[in-house]
Amino acid sequence: MGEQPDVGQTVRRIVSEILERPLEEIQDHHAFVEDLDAESIQSVELMAAFEEAFGIELDEEEAMAVKTVGAAIEFIRRCIREQKP
Amino acid sequence: MTPRDVTNPASPNLLEDVFDYDGVPKILFDGPIVEVIDGKQVTFDPAERKTRDLVITDTTFRDGQQARRPYTAAQIVELYRMLSRLGGPAGVIRQSEFFLYSRKDREAVDRCLALGLAYPEITGWIRADKGDFKLVKNIGLKETGMLTSSSDYHIYHKMKTDRRAALEKYLAVVEAAIEAGVRPRCHLEDVTRADLDGFVLPFVQHLARIAEQAPEPLRPKVRLCDTMGFGVSYPGAALPRSVPKLVYKIVHEGGIPSERLEWHGHNDFHKAHVNGATCWLYGCDAVNTTLVGYGERTGNPPLEGAVFEYIGLRGNPCGIDTTVLTEIAAYLQDACGMQIPPNQPFLGRNFNTTRAGIHADGLSSDERIYNIFNTEKLLNRSPGIIINDKSGIDGVALWVNHYLGLRGPDRIGKIKLARIGRWIVDQYEKHGRITSISDEEMLDLIREHLPEQLEAARARRTV
Repeated sequence: MGEQPDVGQTVRRIVSEILERPLEEIQDHHAFVEDLDAESIQSVELMAAFEEAFGIELDEEEAMAVKTVGAAIEFIRRCIREQKP
Repeated sequence: MTPRDVTNPASPNLLEDVFDYDGVPKILFDGPIVEVIDGKQVTFDPAERKTRDLVITDTTFRDGQQARRPYTAAQIVELYRMLSRLGGPAGVIRQSEFFLYSRKDREAVDRCLALGLAYPEITGWIRADKGDFKLVKNIGLKETGMLTSSSDYHIYHKMKTDRRAALEKYLAVVEAAIEAGVRPRCHLEDVTRADLDGFVLPFVQHLARIAEQAPEPLRPKVRLCDTMGFGVSYPGAALPRSVPKLVYKIVHEGGIPSERLEWHGHNDFHKAHVNGATCWLYGCDAVNTTLVGYGERTGNPPLEGAVFEYIGLRGNPCGIDTTVLTEIAAYLQDACGMQIPPNQPFLGRNFNTTRAGIHADGLSSDERIYNIFNTEKLLNRSPGIIINDKSGIDGVALWVNHYLGLRGPDRIGKIKLARIGRWIVDQYEKHGRITSISDEEMLDLIREHLPEQLEAARARRTV
């Protein structure tokens, strides 16, 4: 549970790096494709980076259904809870 | 207009009575076809196709050799052997036509005859010259084709003669053939540009009368040669270009039965294949073809296309072994130096290969979505993917999993392929690449990013 407060920051940092956007611009309500112009390969790269950063495995179908930064944070928190109780 | 509403079945309707994935898609008919011929309605029943002995004939070694560098005798023997296996015990590939003029031609015939195969029967091809029958007779063939040009373009402008003289010459050669114990097959050159009433029908009626006096094995056959590819298959089209009406007239007014009638088309207007199949439906039992459609100028109906059309029309394989086509394609390319167009249906390197990511996504979830039939079963070729800028991560996933032999839950997901996907995207976006990613490059990427999976696949012997 101790790592949970960092999830949001880490996710936003990864989004900023992969989508090449200033960190301060990344908002939880931002949609990856519509607001942040994520391309198909970048969506996959984001998920791969999340897996590596948090040491978790993401269900591909569920992960690709995540549309916003905030939803990604929630999804990753849930995966951490399930995989690292 | 009857109002229609969408139905929403519990399971999908995949129309498998037509598209049985493990077989060739069936070609079904709702009922008879009606043509107006000479002002009268004539009914053709497509169901009749299943009662006639429809066959494919081959001219790879005659017309096919007029369009490419010659095959060696050894290559002809090997291809002939494969054609025999392809056509099966019922001899769906019934005959193959050979040149006889050169020593190499005759050596090829000798060696093929020596194999003792029932099918394809070997037939010859000669000019309409009485002396040429010695060639046919000496080599031991029972049937030969001969040029009997039928249009005035040929009679007046090429042969520099007239119809009466041409007719007499042709009939004399036909009589000589029968006398020599060789069945003549009259090739009505340029028949789709000929005067049907003024020359073609009178000539074939003479042949029909000759046939009445001859034993069955010697009765003349007729080959309808659409020399310039002018034939059209559309219902209602007019003569001389209407294929259905031409076949009907030759059978019903010319007196040549379906079993002694053959179609030989050319592809100048992209109609060679469909015209051949049309002939089957309208009363001509044999369709003449070549491997890969190689033939004079634009070529002939491709034999491989005729094979699948045949099975589709018949509704069952009739003993044909379609997997031999893949062996033939490999032999033509590797041993004969033929460059088969990559997109050539059934034979080309990429005929069941996709480049589009969205198609790859469909293929990876259920190959039936973008594969015409079970190509693994019918051609020993599973569907493939070529990676380029359009492939996307779905295409990469399909390629990698296909290469590693991973299916279902064992497949490597897209997330694990992100680095490979990035490398490919950068090739096009950063480096301006315009060529596809080669198989070797893909394998290098697998070695670098998925070494354990590659090792496991090698252990399973799936790569």
